[in-house]
Amino acid sequence: MRTARPRTLAVPALLALLAACGGGDGRQVLTVYSPHGRDMLKAFEAAYERANPGVDLQFVDMGSQEILDRLRSEKANPQADVWFGAPAYTFAQGAADSLLERFVPTWATAVPAEARDPAGYWHGTYLTPEVIAYNSKRVTGAQVPADWDDVLDPRWKGKVLIRDPMASGTMRTIFGMAVLRSLRQTGDTAQGWRWLRRLDGQTKEYVLNPTLLYQKLAREEGLVTLWDLPDLEELRSHTDLPIAYVLPRSGTPVLVDAIGVVKGAQHPELARAFVEWAGSAPQVTAAARTSFRLPARTDVPDSALPEPLRRAKQALKAEPMDWRRFEKESPGWMRYWDTNVRGRR
Amino acid sequence: MSTSIDRPSAGPASTEVAAEGRADGRVDAEGAGRRGDWWVIAPVLLILLWLVLYPNLFVLLASVTERGHATLEAWRRFFGSPAELGALWASVWISAASVVLSALIGVPLAFLFARRDFPGRRLLGGLAAMPVLLPPLVGTISFLFLYGETGFLTRGVQTVLGMTEAPWRLAGPWAVLLVHAYTMYVYFYLFAAAGLSRLDGGYAEAAAALGAGWWTTLRRVTLPMLGPALGGASLLVFMTSMASFSAPYVFGGGFRVLTTQIYASKLNGEEGLVAVEAVVLAVTSLLFLAGLRRIEGSREYTGASKGLGPAPRTQARRGWVLTAVAALFTGFLLLPHLTVLLVSFVPEGTWTTQILPPVYSASGYRALFTDPERLVPVLNSLRMATAATLANVAFAFAAGYLLARRRFRGKGAVAALVALPWALPGTVLAVALATTFSVHRPLAGRFVWVGTFAILPIAYFIRNVPLVTNAALASFRQLDPALEEAAAALGAGRFTALRRVVLPLVLPGLAAGALLAWVTALGEFVASILLYTHRTRPLSVEMLSDLRAYDFGGAAVYGVLLIVLVAAAFALGYRRVGEG
Repeated sequence: MRTARPRTLAVPALLALLAACGGGDGRQVLTVYSPHGRDMLKAFEAAYERANPGVDLQFVDMGSQEILDRLRSEKANPQADVWFGAPAYTFAQGAADSLLERFVPTWATAVPAEARDPAGYWHGTYLTPEVIAYNSKRVTGAQVPADWDDVLDPRWKGKVLIRDPMASGTMRTIFGMAVLRSLRQTGDTAQGWRWLRRLDGQTKEYVLNPTLLYQKLAREEGLVTLWDLPDLEELRSHTDLPIAYVLPRSGTPVLVDAIGVVKGAQHPELARAFVEWAGSAPQVTAAARTSFRLPARTDVPDSALPEPLRRAKQALKAEPMDWRRFEKESPGWMRYWDTNVRGRR
Repeated sequence: MSTSIDRPSAGPASTEVAAEGRADGRVDAEGAGRRGDWWVIAPVLLILLWLVLYPNLFVLLASVTERGHATLEAWRRFFGSPAELGALWASVWISAASVVLSALIGVPLAFLFARRDFPGRRLLGGLAAMPVLLPPLVGTISFLFLYGETGFLTRGVQTVLGMTEAPWRLAGPWAVLLVHAYTMYVYFYLFAAAGLSRLDGGYAEAAAALGAGWWTTLRRVTLPMLGPALGGASLLVFMTSMASFSAPYVFGGGFRVLTTQIYASKLNGEEGLVAVEAVVLAVTSLLFLAGLRRIEGSREYTGASKGLGPAPRTQARRGWVLTAVAALFTGFLLLPHLTVLLVSFVPEGTWTTQILPPVYSASGYRALFTDPERLVPVLNSLRMATAATLANVAFAFAAGYLLARRRFRGKGAVAALVALPWALPGTVLAVALATTFSVHRPLAGRFVWVGTFAILPIAYFIRNVPLVTNAALASFRQLDPALEEAAAALGAGRFTALRRVVLPLVLPGLAAGALLAWVTALGEFVASILLYTHRTRPLSVEMLSDLRAYDFGGAAVYGVLLIVLVAAAFALGYRRVGEG
């Protein structure tokens, strides 16, 4: 009986050794956690590294809720320098868990007071209006749902797709809006839960991630969904998927998308410089042009914005949201929804 | 592909875990702990306690504390919630059903390929093991493209039958079960095939001579003799189903299992509940392990070998019928692989509503070699999987030697610790590691590994401890201790005997285990996603990032690369190892 020679194992070992060589070009590494998507981040990386040749900008691409979760688990040994992108209330949770470092950039005053943290832990860069999206090949003219309640029309029963709301800031916000509206109008949450129950009854499927949501909507597995404006505009600009959207008539939550320095960052200086740069007027304008991010700054003239954003700004009616209450109660509401609303038709 | 199934030295060796607790039948082979053994026992114990047990204690602790105070609140919430209890029950029954269904596919398939001979048997037999090469994330996505509502097969059937609606919806518990059976039957197939090839044909002949029909022979002789192999496969399938996340998450619809509950609680920031759910999941898996061992321990079917080979394959009279059946079945099993291959040629953003992609190009593959950023994750995964596997081999050799050859106090505990990582889903392990190794307290054995290169290989290492160790253990068990005695009698020192006699003989089994471990680590996703950094991002995470950017083609290129790497490793490994 011949047996295997130890050399069998030497092959992978050699491979490993080879692979271990290389890497490390002497630049300072700036690590940024961001959900803004690869296309926008690649453009940012190129622009920033051109302006700062000594810095290697590294984006870690993940969902905003996942970033919060990640920062919590890395609290004792922070790996990120900057947290770039998430709804303001997520940042507020991060600040409450002392995951953020106070830093007030010079552009803070260009942002309206409600789009920045009074304590200076986070500042808004973009505004994200939530919208109703639909398959533009199958849904046309008067059929297009113009407001939130239209989505509950019997016509859309079994045709609504919803992104998994536990993992999505956008969906949490829209669900939160339903509950907050109910509180505002009736003093308690019952009406909101009724609305969400009816929405659940319309829903065909809760979808794993945005990409699959677009795919399923384009392939007519469902015809209507709820999503946000910048992502849909960006999608429309680089694919020809038959997807369009409307801004709900009765008003829609406008999320403040923020940026902040991570507490205990390994390169606090660089982190602050990056925040300063990302929120600067030219960079905010660039993000609007290439990735359809609506600037939070009030000093960017409409003429500098691309056509869809200009149109959206006119049609937009912001929903008055009690963000403080939302921030505090949203986890409880989502837990209640997951246990008592979802699939209980 | 030479993953031919008739080589007993390969893969399935790991069945032995279930048999670990039983009386060995060769007790005389186990030397009582010699005084010189501490240098093996100590490091093995240290690694098990420190890396396997210790981090999980923090999870246990987190389940009974909140902000530093002791409280049973999270436990009360778990047991007071019908949704949570429903998820627990769903996890258990889905796993049990997965075992049954996987066995129903895998075992007959093994009999077909091990007992019948027909044209193309070797090739088809190898191909039937292919699903083991499909990394979880790749598998799930390709299922969606294939059997989802607008998938190739679904649309195809719909068109052929002239239906207006999709003929089925891949959602709910049945979809989860289907995906599990599809991907996990391989364990039964490989284990049963290896068991059959080890089986002394003399028993079946004896049974036949005594007048037993084929059914009686199967029921009373063959299947019981396959007991350990089937037990091992059941264990593996049950554990894998319990820990399975992608399938219920993607295909479950509103169907809740423990792993999806853990994810939801985690995103909701409810750390206490996450810990409770994790502990419940681990305890359930361990109870299954204990139950299986009890059953195994009470039945003993080993017989002395008469030196006969396995029962010869019967030349089927209408061989081509079997070939056709096997080819059809194998083709069906390979559809997900073909799907990944097809999608890998789709340029970003071109494939929208068409049944088949309208544009094909090799740009995804070219980018792999022209854009250094695309290659980084490949190198990362190769590097980390290799480092972890080398550590696994060293550990498994020592631990296997101890468990098979030595008697010492606490041996049962060591065996249980070796099996523990199986009972823990990747998410739980990742959380445990992130908690334990994020602070610098050397005296408490805690170092800052989070965010460093080390953390992922360590996670891979821990996850694969049971796999490789049990492969090594099986080899040690098959090794006649007389060989070592002979070496000793001929004047070889212990070390020389180990190096010149034991190691070469154990190596094939060890290498087979290492191969499976390497493959698992290469495509690992669940723990990686929680622990990676930009610099250490592995293949699976980059694949997800492609999916997020609507680049199905880019993700599929990585998928194909993974399948090819793994297939190449298998082909190389089996050729080398199987040369004996």
